[in-house]
Amino acid sequence: MNRPFKESLSLYWTLQKAALRAETGYRFNFVLLVVMGIVYQGSGIAFVWVILSQFDSIGSWTFSDVAFLYSLRLLAHAVWIVPFNQVYALDELVREGRFDVYLLRPLNPLLQVITGRVRMNILGDVITAVTMFGFAVTAADVDWTPAKALYLVLAVLGGAAAEGAVVLLVSALSFRFLHTWSAHFLVDNVFLLFGSYPLHIFGTATTWILTWTVPVAFVAYVPASVLLGRTGDLSVSPVLAWAAPAIGFLWMYAAYRIWVRQMRHYQSTGT
Amino acid sequence: MSALISVDGLVKEFRKVKPHEGRLGSLRTLFTRRYEVNRAVDGVSFAIDEGELVGYLGPNGAGKSTTIKMMTGIVMPTGGTVRISGLDPWRERPCNAAQMGVVFGQRTQLWWDLPLRESFRLVGAIYGVSPADYRESLERFVDLLDLGEFIDRPVRQLSLGQRMRGDIAAAMLHRPRVVYLDEPTIGLDVVAKDRMRTFVEETSRAGETTIVLTTHDLADVERLCPRVILIDHGRVLYDGDVQGLKATYATHRELVVHLAPDESTGRTPAVRAADVLGAEIVSQEQGVARIRFEASRIAVQHLIASVNQNYPVRDLSIVEPDLEGVVRRIYSEGLTP
Ligand SMILES: Nc1ncnc2c1ncn2[C@@H]1O[C@H](COP(=O)(O)OP(=O)(O)OP(=O)(O)O)[C@@H](O)[C@H]1O
Ligand SMILES: [Mg+2]
Repeated sequence: MNRPFKESLSLYWTLQKAALRAETGYRFNFVLLVVMGIVYQGSGIAFVWVILSQFDSIGSWTFSDVAFLYSLRLLAHAVWIVPFNQVYALDELVREGRFDVYLLRPLNPLLQVITGRVRMNILGDVITAVTMFGFAVTAADVDWTPAKALYLVLAVLGGAAAEGAVVLLVSALSFRFLHTWSAHFLVDNVFLLFGSYPLHIFGTATTWILTWTVPVAFVAYVPASVLLGRTGDLSVSPVLAWAAPAIGFLWMYAAYRIWVRQMRHYQSTGT
Repeated sequence: MSALISVDGLVKEFRKVKPHEGRLGSLRTLFTRRYEVNRAVDGVSFAIDEGELVGYLGPNGAGKSTTIKMMTGIVMPTGGTVRISGLDPWRERPCNAAQMGVVFGQRTQLWWDLPLRESFRLVGAIYGVSPADYRESLERFVDLLDLGEFIDRPVRQLSLGQRMRGDIAAAMLHRPRVVYLDEPTIGLDVVAKDRMRTFVEETSRAGETTIVLTTHDLADVERLCPRVILIDHGRVLYDGDVQGLKATYATHRELVVHLAPDESTGRTPAVRAADVLGAEIVSQEQGVARIRFEASRIAVQHLIASVNQNYPVRDLSIVEPDLEGVVRRIYSEGLTP
């Protein structure tokens, strides 16, 4: 039974809406989580803003350039986390054997994982990302052309795919190792710490590693350089810089294939 | 015609990290891994035809659920093959999943926080059940399984028996060709069990649904299963009908003798060991003697004649072993035929 893409998409919506209804059943929790999400993300941003405004420039990038980069990453992160946040819960599903159910139905198991539950606190991620990006984009020094606008859209999607790919790869370890919390924590922090600033300030070796072994650079640093006209600072060629979204999608494709392959190690549970 | 389900030399091994003992044991475990292998399923083979209803039996830990998980595509076999109407459940998961329905008594497949009705709707959408078929099936299930009373309640509020009925309805909504029921009567009261059995019976009757059932309640088996497959330690011990199982494993019968009081003394005599041709007197109370004999060694008519000749008999009956007793002996003594 191979479904057409359109049918899968409509099933995705059906399941996602059901998960949302399930979550809103606990109304008190719902409201609290949204508020918490905003407060949490907002305080993080405020902190960064204060730090950033202490410097005139970081690695020859001005304050508004860094803010643009920072918020571009937040946006890509939000675009990934909204549909895919349940990937972080995969190890729990595997450990408790609840993944069984997803293998029994004629529907992509990953699609069932991500529609299994809606987390309301991610709304905080979205609101802060959009707000901050709104400010940063007006302040940033970008010569907007239709091509750059299109590139921006693709870059956000590609950045989401690049970060998502690595998180997905980590989650695939769940099938063998059952506990992946610490690996997720590490990856999240690498993307947050190194992805949010001009990467070249961390030195050539770090830049190389975070470009070619883990695609941190392609989430926001490379696209932001293109949009800000700073491709000269990059260690990658301008052509490759323009191809950054494609690299994100390639990573995602490969990660998904590996994820599916790792599923064979799923052992279920004794009961 | 070849069988609908064919399982051939199926093996599943679970590997477990074996911890090092002694000083720094946990640190050593972290770096050098030693594995302990547990063969949960060890070369199981059987074939099931379209429309059969088969009881898959065995003691705790025998490997029943593991076999079912391989037949349903949840785990990949370590060795051997499973084919369900020609499909490999692991590699051709979507096609195989579309034609099967599964109930694990231990674990629900319903949406926990949503009303039961919502789960049915979502299942209908996932399997692409047409609205007309959906309405018809739902109506039938509400009727047969008496779901009406709680269909609009969230699943998390349902009692075990209610939830189980909801689960079985959800598993059958798309009219699967093959149904796996892993302990569907676990924890149900007598009425609910009966309803579940009737439902399984009804489903099987038309001959279009193939059902594999595991259970620890042998009343399920006596009522439902013309055929049983019995496994232990991951190996098939018996495959055949229930009568044959008794004939193979329970070769003894019991002669129950009700004795009359002696006319002259008024006392009820006791059966003596010398008069039962070497059979075993299991118990003797209030004028009822239970004599156990091996049907292959002692002819029942000789035994009856001997008892009749020596004692005033009021009534005689021969008790066939019940399935419960047979299975208990197999499980506890690990008998081979
Ligand atoms: N996911 C797993 N990881 C490790 N060992 C397992 C796993 N699942 C089952 N086992 C082991 O495999 C053996 C068979 O288990 P299985 O669940 O198939 O038994 P069962 O016949 O269904 O028993 P029960 O009647 O208790 O349900 C047991 O020894 C069990 O400990
Ligand atoms: Mg079991």
